[in-house]
Amino acid sequence: MIGMSAVEWLEPRSLEEALDLRARYGEDATVVAGGTFLGILMNQGFLRPVRLLALRGVLDLDSINQENEGLVLGAMATHRVVERSGMVREGWPALAHAFSVVASPRVRNQATVGGVLADADYASDPPAMLAALDARVVVAGSGGRREIPVADFILDHYTTSLEEDELVVEVRVPGRARRAVYRKFRSRSSEDRPCVSVAAAEVGGGLRVVVGAVAGRPQYFPEACALAESGRTEPDLADEIARRYAEAIEPISDARGSARYRRRVVAVEVRRALEDLYRE
Amino acid sequence: MSDPRVTGELRYSQDIELEGMLHARILRSPHPHARISRVDASAVPEDVVVLVPHDVRDLGYYGCQIKDQTVLAQEKVRYAGDPVAAVAATTPERAEEALDLIEVDYEELPAVFDAAEAAADGPLVHEEIKLSENDAAYFGLRPQQGTNVCHRFRIRHGDIESGFGEADVVVEETYFTAGAQHAPMEPHAALARWEGDGLEVWTGSQTPFNTRMDLAGIFGIPEEKVRIVCPPMGGSFGAKTFVRLEAIAACLARKAERPTKIVLDRDEEWLTLNRHPATLKVKLGAKRDGTLVAKRVECWANTGAYADCGPGVAQKMGFASPGPYRIPNVWVDSHAVYTNLPPNGAYRGYGQMQCTWASERTIDLLAEKLEMDPLELRLKNILKDGDRYCTGEIMHDVHFAELLQRAADAVRWNENRHGKGLCVMLKGMQTPSRASIAVEASDNGNYTVLCATAEMGQGARKAIRLMAAELLGVEVEKVGFPDPDTDAVPYDTRTTSSRSTHMMGRALEKAVEDLRKNGRRGYGEVVDEGGLDPDTGQGVASSHWHQGAAAAEVEVDKETGRFSVKRLHAPVYAGRVINRPGAELQNEGSMIMGVGTALFESVNFSEGQVSNANLSDYCVPAAGDMPEVLTHELVEGERAEVHGLGETALPPVPPAIGNALHSLGINITGLPITAESVLDAIDRRDEERTRSTLPSQEEPATEGVAGKNGARRTYAVAFGISLGALVVGLLLRSRRIAAAKRLVPRRLAR
Amino acid sequence: MKVPLVVNGERVAVEARPDEMLLGVLRREFGLLSVRETCGIGVCGACTVLVDGEPVSACLLLTPLAAGRDITTVESLGGDHPVQRAFVEAEAFQCGYCTPGMILTAKRLLEEMPEPSEEEIKTYLGGNLCRCGCYVKIIEAVKLAAAESYPLREVSGT
Repeated sequence: MIGMSAVEWLEPRSLEEALDLRARYGEDATVVAGGTFLGILMNQGFLRPVRLLALRGVLDLDSINQENEGLVLGAMATHRVVERSGMVREGWPALAHAFSVVASPRVRNQATVGGVLADADYASDPPAMLAALDARVVVAGSGGRREIPVADFILDHYTTSLEEDELVVEVRVPGRARRAVYRKFRSRSSEDRPCVSVAAAEVGGGLRVVVGAVAGRPQYFPEACALAESGRTEPDLADEIARRYAEAIEPISDARGSARYRRRVVAVEVRRALEDLYRE
Repeated sequence: MSDPRVTGELRYSQDIELEGMLHARILRSPHPHARISRVDASAVPEDVVVLVPHDVRDLGYYGCQIKDQTVLAQEKVRYAGDPVAAVAATTPERAEEALDLIEVDYEELPAVFDAAEAAADGPLVHEEIKLSENDAAYFGLRPQQGTNVCHRFRIRHGDIESGFGEADVVVEETYFTAGAQHAPMEPHAALARWEGDGLEVWTGSQTPFNTRMDLAGIFGIPEEKVRIVCPPMGGSFGAKTFVRLEAIAACLARKAERPTKIVLDRDEEWLTLNRHPATLKVKLGAKRDGTLVAKRVECWANTGAYADCGPGVAQKMGFASPGPYRIPNVWVDSHAVYTNLPPNGAYRGYGQMQCTWASERTIDLLAEKLEMDPLELRLKNILKDGDRYCTGEIMHDVHFAELLQRAADAVRWNENRHGKGLCVMLKGMQTPSRASIAVEASDNGNYTVLCATAEMGQGARKAIRLMAAELLGVEVEKVGFPDPDTDAVPYDTRTTSSRSTHMMGRALEKAVEDLRKNGRRGYGEVVDEGGLDPDTGQGVASSHWHQGAAAAEVEVDKETGRFSVKRLHAPVYAGRVINRPGAELQNEGSMIMGVGTALFESVNFSEGQVSNANLSDYCVPAAGDMPEVLTHELVEGERAEVHGLGETALPPVPPAIGNALHSLGINITGLPITAESVLDAIDRRDEERTRSTLPSQEEPATEGVAGKNGARRTYAVAFGISLGALVVGLLLRSRRIAAAKRLVPRRLAR
Repeated sequence: MKVPLVVNGERVAVEARPDEMLLGVLRREFGLLSVRETCGIGVCGACTVLVDGEPVSACLLLTPLAAGRDITTVESLGGDHPVQRAFVEAEAFQCGYCTPGMILTAKRLLEEMPEPSEEEIKTYLGGNLCRCGCYVKIIEAVKLAAAESYPLREVSGT
């Protein structure tokens, strides 16, 4: 039917209230964090929400704290706040960098930590870096809280393991990574989204390499990373890990590069990321 | 002193409003070629005005060169995006919702997308090709009835067979350039109103008089009954030419009996007009000493589902393809070809970029084969004053050698040529053409210039006001220049091909002289005669020539194929400069647009549907995409004519970059030069070096996945995963987001 | 719904649909036509406004999210703002469609970095597209504005 079907705006003031609404409406209420991805979907005509559940009024969701050596990013903290936070820049500079290279200052002023994870867009920068740092997504729902590694939270293109009654409340990054790097490879404009991105970090003595923008979810291969503990040395090691990543990934094709091309770039960029990492 | 552009006060076409106006939206075909079997708009509520094919079937055909368009598709649709119906409502949102209520059934037909294929043997896009009476059909059109070729232009100069017979060295290559989107910041916008049997249209347009002619033809009314007003445009670059939305807006306004406005959504820009994708086959022969003896060129300009000005584009592509060289034997066949892609038309240079790419890349291939310096080869054959071009006309006021040398000097060509490339270009200006202008004096010492030249950011108004002020001997603030209005201004061909400052400047001199004689109002007119015989290419291609050159220096990441332009320099012949900052802006803007064309701009298709119709999947150059050093020169001549500069610095950019890559053994034939295509070319180079006994000059680029051959057209492969993935992802994410039809691009539903 | 906004210093409660972007509301309800739609996906910057002093794409900002916040458009700068003067002096525009967004973004850039390098300007303004390709002169204009000893930490909306 044609007509101005009224859209309902829900703006809870507390997390409990938000979770109640989430449990009541499930997917009938579209969750609004910063609203950038949602705005794109709505403007493109992909989505016409009937009810909007905004988290802007929920207290304390936008804080950034340090807890037992680890970093806690509130779901509603914007990209710009993360990238400019002294705490993040000091302890997790590669993470600050990954947030700082997202789109433009405009988008980063709006887009949030929780949003970028819950949207699960394959070409976003932060998820790969967070996964490499072994970060965990803390979600709250009717059944209480649970923690999901970022690498398991994003399942596929725009698909997460978030349940219909759950909300992302924070992201926990474990203690300072001794070394970490993020490389964003663009095949076209300097403003383009990545064709291939590589995040690499040494966490708890182990190496974690995560490749983004090449598949439905960030790509992490622990067996290949385990080679770092085999006692092999640079540059042989970086080459070998990169080769294994290029072999293991089944890349997508899009306007930024074919699958064949992406596979080659993965081999180069993973190696370069490791070279950067060991140079640090 | 402020400027309405920095205060945000400048009003564009899309800002114009009339009391009681309605907002329109267009329903478009999702199929590239299909018969329309049913259109049912009965579900649309009464307060929304609907226009269906039946409503407009008695109206006239239109088209600026070929009469092949109807206001809405009749019987069949010819591209994915072809307008099938339109609605007008009190708000854009209500109109948008009403579109969903129109049902259209189609029977799909076989479609053709490649121009060479369509020219040879493809399903017919139009059964019959009828010529237009519009002024824009000013040259002898040669449609090939019963084929998809809507115009064929030829040059026959000398004897091509014996020419190649004399050649010691011959090179041959086929080139492909992708379609591009103008992407003006302001979308197309038009507002139409009927007053009795008279039609008024406010539209961002470079062609007020051509638009008036076609609209009068559609409605079967005298031209004087149609008034076109052209507010400033937020960019155009050729996109806002001829009839685009004006006819649909006018039909809705007539049916609604209320003013009706259409502003396109961004994605619709890709469905309205793009730049011609082109295939060019070039064969070039020379003596051992580098003297050019013969050139054979075949062009296929893919004009899409409707000809628009494709015949003119093909003709210009053809007559400029020999380049600024003395070549005794020239053979050119250039075709404008219908396909089932969205229409392609004027785009900053009008076929020039495509033929310059092919022509100037071939010069470097020849230089390589001759083992000659590409600069030396060019200079040896370059056209000078008094030389005869292959069209038979004598060249005058030409500066190709100087421009080329200046380009070479800027990159220190004489020191080494590694990673450097050159290009030189001759470009015609609309010929024949006519411009007229009036100058009116008022009592308070102010003057008003009445002129059809449209402002799209190129600074034409400022240039014309400056010229008028100089001629009148008054401050520029004393000279007013209202929006072009066909009821008030004298006739002009159109604001295209960088002709306005040159033509209007000359007409203005006469007008001011006339004003001195007559006191209140002066009128001036200039007519440039000329034109070419379409079957032989003989005559006058251009009453004067735009001349430009470029030099580029690149650095390549051998492992990823990603390269950067370290330096780009473009000298152009300006003749006499009127507005220096404006001239500089034109050059810089042209060069930056040229960088986009060279590096990444490409309209991608998937089964005829544009797969990157948004400014994320389609990139336009950003500040960070500028070459590290971007410089240019305005070469001036004493007592020289004014030369338009709107397009001159664009076409030389991609070949200069392509040739810079070529100097590294990276041979690219397709535009844009994607990182992927560079990597493929590096593979081919390295394979050849390995195969040959010659020692490799550089270490191998990279190891890993084996390379492949013939990647010439890899860039043309269209995927559109972003959109596709989004659709699939959303379906997975929520099955409740309405029906699947909501998830296909808007307005392509059903 | 009624949404309380502070637009160019003025407190107003405006009637808007909750699913409506701020861009449309600013144009329709306030006649602020310097805020312009080009891409509709937050890529181009033609609809840049300052929200509490920070640049945001009005095409992606749901109106209720702007409730109670300070919204600045180029109309409020008056025409004599140092960045505007610099743009005029450098002739850093052609069609002018992107110019208001450029100016607002440059204004914020200079508050954050009073003496930005060319690279910093290119990066910060990278997300503001100018299809006419005026970047050379835009960068010049930002440098000019910076050189005019742009006041540090200027309050937004002046």
